[in-house]
Amino acid sequence: MKKWQQGIRPWLIKYLALPSDIILELPRITIIGQLHVYIENHQGLATFTDSELKLKTNKGFIQIFGSSFVLKMMLPEEILLEGIIKEVKFIPD
Amino acid sequence: MKQIQGAFITGYVTISVKGSNPELFFQKCIHSGLTIWDVKKTADDTCTGNIKLKDIKVIRQIKRNSNYKITFVGKKGYPFTVKLFLRKKQLVVGLIMSILLIIFLSNIIWEVKITGVPKEIEEKISKQLESYGIHPGSWIITLESPNSIQQKLVKDVPELLWVGVHQKGTTFFLEGVEKIIVNKEEVKGPRNLVATKKGIIKTMYVSKGLPKVHVNDFVEPGDVLVSGIINESEETDEDEDSESGNKNLELVAAAGEITATTWYEVLVTIPLEASYEHLTGNQEKKHYIRIGSVRAPLWGFGEPDYKNIHSEVVERELNFFKWKLPVKIGETILSEKMYTKVERSREEAINTGIQQAKEDLKLELGQEARILSEKVLHDTIENGKVKLSLYISVEENISEEQPISKSLEK
Repeated sequence: MKKWQQGIRPWLIKYLALPSDIILELPRITIIGQLHVYIENHQGLATFTDSELKLKTNKGFIQIFGSSFVLKMMLPEEILLEGIIKEVKFIPD
Repeated sequence: MKQIQGAFITGYVTISVKGSNPELFFQKCIHSGLTIWDVKKTADDTCTGNIKLKDIKVIRQIKRNSNYKITFVGKKGYPFTVKLFLRKKQLVVGLIMSILLIIFLSNIIWEVKITGVPKEIEEKISKQLESYGIHPGSWIITLESPNSIQQKLVKDVPELLWVGVHQKGTTFFLEGVEKIIVNKEEVKGPRNLVATKKGIIKTMYVSKGLPKVHVNDFVEPGDVLVSGIINESEETDEDEDSESGNKNLELVAAAGEITATTWYEVLVTIPLEASYEHLTGNQEKKHYIRIGSVRAPLWGFGEPDYKNIHSEVVERELNFFKWKLPVKIGETILSEKMYTKVERSREEAINTGIQQAKEDLKLELGQEARILSEKVLHDTIENGKVKLSLYISVEENISEEQPISKSLEK
């Protein structure tokens, strides 16, 4: 059953043009210049320091490097990061 | 950012979390649905962030099951500002006192300005006003309305013809007009006395001039009663009239008093039934304070047991600087009134009709006129009303001055 569901999802995205972040439960990351990173649909905070933010997602982690990081807003499944962003990395499980 | 909008109004605190991996504490917090913002890592084992004031209880619960140390670093927002302000009692008391003082001062007369009249009348007016209680330093709400002050002033200061009283904030403006007793312009120089009404001459008293009519003569309006031309000869012809200047006519200002019997026909209607209401003089006063549309009685409770009540409401406003406060102080005067019904017989109605007609006529003719007799010419009853046609004879002065040059031109 689950396999069948996972199989139909890419098909839905391809033919019905449904947004992929919702169908596949993937994080949506919006980056505004070097200033802001807005991450939706994450699964929790793993590490947060002045120069690093690591977030758990459905499939692995997202790691963001930079400097003078401040979490402007924290909500369940949403984070707005402010600072100077240098790198965004995906680390698969 | 919608979630943290308005946080200043509800208040928020900055907490500092100490322990290993302090950001995980915040992770727990957001997991239980809190909003956290401005999270910073200040050291390896400390993390600061802002939470809403109402979420502190939840934070305490989360903390209980963990080994993080939480300290409150700062508190911001409206509730804290108010608290801080309220803690300074003197400041609060001072503020309330100053507002009360301003209300007090806004409701006091600061100045009475009198314009338009000479100094001595101004002095008189201000003295009179003082006796009414209007002077700098008196309460505005205890005063009467400008209208009644106006009436009282005109009555009490005989030199005033008119006075305009209006109140502008804390200043009373009085604009007076002095009464200048203007004597009726007398016709100077040569003049005749002519009749103004038709009538029969009753008495004649001529101090100057040549009388042209006799007692018991009938005169029409415009007839010359006393002539100002003394040596006027009977045979003066029209062609000589133009050379009257050469003939040296002796002209004087005719003076005298000629009374004549005149008559008037007056129509009056008197209803057979009349009802009117009058106040018995019993009255009760009620005071109340009104805020918006809510009335709170201050003094005078219960309803008086009058059968019919005439109520009068007087309201005064309180001022705050130039603005009017929504608070009003009012007074209700409840007076007992009585309805009276009068039924007249035909004779009574006729009598009242005659009385009324006489009084009306006297008012019209002035004090010097004397009513001699009256006679009912005709009376009918129609729709419950008596219609009277009266014949009234009056004795009055009918003479009027007329300059001669004008009469010559005619």
